[in-house]
Amino acid sequence: MTPEIEVRNLNFYYAGGVKTLKDINMTIYKNQVTALIGPSGCGKTTLLRCFNRMHDLYAGNRYEGEIIFQGQNILSKDTDLIELRSKIGMVFQKPTPFPMSIFENIAYGLKLRGIKKRGELKDRVEKALKDAALWEEVKDKLNTNAFGLSGGQQQRLCIARALAVEPEIILFDEPTSALDPISTGKIEELIISLKGRVTIIIVTHNMQQAARISDWTGFMMLGELIEYDKTDRIFTVPSNKLTEDYITGRFG
Amino acid sequence: MILNKRKIISSIALFICFLTACWGIFWLSFILVDVIRHGLSGINPDLFLKDPAPPGEEGGGLRNAFVGHFLITLFATLIGVPIGILGGTFLAEYGRKYNISKIISTLADIMVSVPAIIIGAFIYAIIVKPFGHFSGWAGAIALGIIMIPTVVRTTENMLSLIPWTLREAAFALGAPYYKVIIQVVYRGAATGILTGIILAIARVTGEAAPLLFTAFNNNYFSLNMSQPIASLTVTIFQYAMGPYEEWHAQAWGAALIITLFILFATITGRLLIKRRYKE
Repeated sequence: MTPEIEVRNLNFYYAGGVKTLKDINMTIYKNQVTALIGPSGCGKTTLLRCFNRMHDLYAGNRYEGEIIFQGQNILSKDTDLIELRSKIGMVFQKPTPFPMSIFENIAYGLKLRGIKKRGELKDRVEKALKDAALWEEVKDKLNTNAFGLSGGQQQRLCIARALAVEPEIILFDEPTSALDPISTGKIEELIISLKGRVTIIIVTHNMQQAARISDWTGFMMLGELIEYDKTDRIFTVPSNKLTEDYITGRFG
Repeated sequence: MILNKRKIISSIALFICFLTACWGIFWLSFILVDVIRHGLSGINPDLFLKDPAPPGEEGGGLRNAFVGHFLITLFATLIGVPIGILGGTFLAEYGRKYNISKIISTLADIMVSVPAIIIGAFIYAIIVKPFGHFSGWAGAIALGIIMIPTVVRTTENMLSLIPWTLREAAFALGAPYYKVIIQVVYRGAATGILTGIILAIARVTGEAAPLLFTAFNNNYFSLNMSQPIASLTVTIFQYAMGPYEEWHAQAWGAALIITLFILFATITGRLLIKRRYKE
């Protein structure tokens, strides 16, 4: 297993100085699925949003420590955020289709990378939609508004949009919490099918989901990474009492 | 017992509301019907195709005023809309974190209700006076300034309605902020912003006071914005005050056209808003 990301002594402060992440150290492995679980407010989404520097959109947020990706500390001031975000994509809790057609939604990221040729755009949009298992459902209505899709389809559209630009990593922030069980199942299958091609980090409220789809699981509480190990070990022989209490449902 | 009393009070209040609404609607329809009744008799092809006849002579029309009014409104829109949209964009996007944005927003709200004649006097002082004569440009600038706060505030409101997660999604794909705004946020807010522009145009179309101080009037056909230029509203004012029956008829005709235009623009604006919220 090749390491993809090294997190070293990461602290994170929201504007106002609240320390939300405390001394996080972890290694994310390439082309594996890593799940972050923990009770509400434990900092798992905050940690996820450090990987593509989403916190930079809001004034006053501050990082300490290092996140090493492709030999660079992405938390350094010199990081080109546009380049970083083209390598590390993200899918949000609620589906976020852009107010444009299905085709244009997928093509948007490609156009940002300077791909303008109609033929190439078409091929890559089709490939992305096939990768996201959405092609069969939308191939006849690519030019209709993306808001016409169901919630689950919209979320798979967002995954397709992230896949289209061929990122190294995709961050998932509770991608199924707004969806019904059938759509959730489809997205889980999709994530499993992406294993081995792209590194996935997923935040989830749903422990069973983490157990079903992830290779590695990190359990977080109150801003600390309590335990990080292979998923089967976390769910069968956790080494920390807190982890055990959480996964057995004693709190959370 | 007490419930019965409340029911009675509620019915009385409802009845009073109903009466006052009828009272308002009565006057509104009275005005509309009156404008239509008088206006229709004033409308004929000459009204649009001929320039005013010399005072006292029969015939003539208001071609000069229709064209002048169109030019002034067009240039006012070209001045007011870009500034308004860019200003609103600053307030809702780049300027979100500055306190000054809130002050500007509040000032824009106040500006919306500043009487238009004050803007007219202002332009008179800073443009008409130094140049020494009235001009179409001064009129266009005055109306443009009146449009700015309306467009600023609608743009700001419409952009704030676009959820932040949508912007984050675009950022997460590696888009720079200006592209996020132009390609994603504007697209989502387009209908709303367009509505704001239409309503702003409808508002300035009916203004006479600021034009009296700036574009003034011109009895001859003119396309020269550097000179005084005729407008419908000022002409209506002048003709309604005039001694000739025919002037009155033409003023009614012009009033009807302007009223219909504003009605049409406002209804279009409202329908667009309605459609937007249905989506």
